[in-house]
Amino acid sequence: MTGSRPERGLRVRRRQDHVLAEFAAMGCPCEILVDTDDESAARELANVVAREAWRVEDKFSRYLPNSVVARINGSRGLPVLVDDETAGLLDFAACLYELSERRFDISCGALRRAWVFDGASRVPDQSLIDAILQTVGWQRLEWRRPSITLRPGMEIDLGGIGKEYAVDRAVALLAAQSSIACLVNFGGDLAVVGARRDTAGWQVGIEAPGSDGRRAHRLVHLGAGAMATSGDSRRYVEVDGRRLGHILDALTGWPVDSAPRSVTVAADTCTQAGSLATLAMLHGPNAENFLLDAGVKFWVVR
Amino acid sequence: MHKYMSRIGLLVVIAFTAGCSSLGVEPWERDVLAKEEMQLVTDPVEAGIDDHIYFSKEASSGGRGFGGGGCGCN
Amino acid sequence: MPRQDKTAIAASLASATCSLLGTPAATPVQAQEEPGWDLNTALLYYGENDDRVQDVSLNLQAIRNFVDDRLLTLGLAVDTLTGATPSGAIPFDGPQTFTRPSARSTYTTPPNTIPLDDSFLDTRVAVNASWQQPLGRLYSIGAGLSASNEYDYMHMGANLKLSRDFNKRNTTVSAGLAIAMDDLSPVGGAPIPLSQMLGEDDRSNKTGDQSKDVFDVVVGLTQVINRNLLVQANYSYSNSSGYLNDPYKILSVVDGTSGDPVPAAPVPGEDFPSHLYLYENRPDERTKHSAYGQAKYYLSGKVLDVSYRYMTDDWEIDSHTIDARLRWPMGDRSYLEPHLRYYTQTAADFYRISLVDGEPLPSYASADYRLGEFDAVTVGMKYGWKLASGHEMSVRLEYYMQDGDAPPGQVIGNQALQELYPDLDAIIAQFSYRFGW
Repeated sequence: MTGSRPERGLRVRRRQDHVLAEFAAMGCPCEILVDTDDESAARELANVVAREAWRVEDKFSRYLPNSVVARINGSRGLPVLVDDETAGLLDFAACLYELSERRFDISCGALRRAWVFDGASRVPDQSLIDAILQTVGWQRLEWRRPSITLRPGMEIDLGGIGKEYAVDRAVALLAAQSSIACLVNFGGDLAVVGARRDTAGWQVGIEAPGSDGRRAHRLVHLGAGAMATSGDSRRYVEVDGRRLGHILDALTGWPVDSAPRSVTVAADTCTQAGSLATLAMLHGPNAENFLLDAGVKFWVVR
Repeated sequence: MHKYMSRIGLLVVIAFTAGCSSLGVEPWERDVLAKEEMQLVTDPVEAGIDDHIYFSKEASSGGRGFGGGGCGCN
Repeated sequence: MPRQDKTAIAASLASATCSLLGTPAATPVQAQEEPGWDLNTALLYYGENDDRVQDVSLNLQAIRNFVDDRLLTLGLAVDTLTGATPSGAIPFDGPQTFTRPSARSTYTTPPNTIPLDDSFLDTRVAVNASWQQPLGRLYSIGAGLSASNEYDYMHMGANLKLSRDFNKRNTTVSAGLAIAMDDLSPVGGAPIPLSQMLGEDDRSNKTGDQSKDVFDVVVGLTQVINRNLLVQANYSYSNSSGYLNDPYKILSVVDGTSGDPVPAAPVPGEDFPSHLYLYENRPDERTKHSAYGQAKYYLSGKVLDVSYRYMTDDWEIDSHTIDARLRWPMGDRSYLEPHLRYYTQTAADFYRISLVDGEPLPSYASADYRLGEFDAVTVGMKYGWKLASGHEMSVRLEYYMQDGDAPPGQVIGNQALQELYPDLDAIIAQFSYRFGW
């Protein structure tokens, strides 16, 4: 994500058996596939989704100066009152904090100052990490609905749950608006709604990095529900020949050791799928066991 | 002469392999390479049929991999 | 992380999500990884000019994808071959009579045409199975078995392959080896090399079954050059030993001045060949070296596939093959793929169009046109399309033309008036259907 705003346009075109609408939001390419031949009906639904995506982005992006998150991060130790929607996300973040035994922590934002995930070998000084860890920690902030108080220097970042949440919100709006089947995909986090006219579901391709000759794609038939992927394909650091992903363990301040390269999960909602994928990554070498116990369909690439 | 040739050949292969470390793409740039039509053998059945036809009608065989099963024709 | 009650995690997550989103999910997730089996079937027609070989074959390949890039491949091919093939006898200005391999009857060929042996009728069944899987993070290993059977030939083979990735999987080095053990039971028995073709029911110069072994080694390097370009280079070594002759191929013995076949002295009471023909003989060993390079280049939706192969062996045969294909997508769901192949080979050092009566017999001699000197061109077009169900179909039509010349130094007398090399024209037509299951 950069500071500059990409253009907020919507591109709609017809495909063989559906209409495809594309736009950019939350720093990734977004698309809606609408199971209809009616281009104007599809455009209407796509507009609903795009507007919701931009609304969530404007409200919760830490990079936009007027967002709720920016306001919280700039509060300098003073309590901030938040609305129901923000409160819901903070409650969810608290839940993930507990479920991950404190390894998933939205107040990790400050660690971004230490880590740059561009594929180079820049590893920050342990002293820097230690210093930042002094300011990081959900236990150090006070969240008592509807008021949140950060210590000076602390920052929160909803990037780990915002996209999946936006997908689920968009899908709920679509379901309320029409019965046309749609697939909403925000940069790889996706969900489907409705029943398609002619086929039973949607085909989703998962890319599993492989060298030539090996099938690089798996095809998943998604009839209902959602899929989300947590992975390091774009952002990582290479240290001593080992690849360290961008998912930081909030307890150590370092990327998770022996984490899979990517985890894709299928679940009822995109929020659940994304959370399970992230939690699995935090389990490092035990990602598969964790997901097996969780009883969900998953694909892990190591 | 033959010995020099094979040593030079080995050096070329090693140099090429070492030089290869500067070529290539990042894992997230493999979108095109992952396409079905960019695989080295896009249709193994057709490749097998062609290999068999040319093996039966010409004196050369294989190249990609193995002869892959003989027949009473050459 | 210490083991918690993980299903409790999933349950807690579900209820937390419910609180966040305000409603429970409308329908539970339905996600199914697409077909375990990838099935590829092809129906082929191959037909040569002038009543020569025709082949109709059915090919099946089933690939089963397991988790973690493990692959099981099963293949089946059934060919029915009919038609005639040049026997190696030289054409001349008169009819010729030959004994069939079975020695049960004879056949006569018209003057001024390359003699074809039409006893060539066979059904071939070939099967293969292979397994491939990753070994650790960077290695991949594969092993396979193959077998084929036809009336007079049986093949069994095994192969092994190991690959390793380097440089973020941009470079792959692989090595493989294969062995094959083939058994031949020629119709009527394998003839004693360079012995004379005898008459009906005379099998006195025929022996029994024969065998041959083949050993292949391949080493290869695959390299990603950039986002749109992939190249591969291979070196292979192949060694065949055992019975390498074609038991049905003969050479005409000709007069040293006229170049016409020498009439045979008939044996009373036997239907006998009209002229003197000797069965061929090839060395009992052959070593081949091949170098192969291939590049695949993606240019705005089109894919260019170019490859080159050089082969040289200890029979003095050198060959060059250039193959180019261009996949041209047409819309979202179909493509056109023109194909061009050029092949050229030099003759084996024991290739003879005929043997001269009275001269000492060479140790090895063969008139098999496939060991001669020729150029071949294939031009073809393939059209493929994808159905709404995701199944793929394609049709291709190719034209294969082989054009050779007898080595000028070998042409004697009247032979110059004849077409000595059996130029080949063949049509290749294939329909293929690929689907998951």
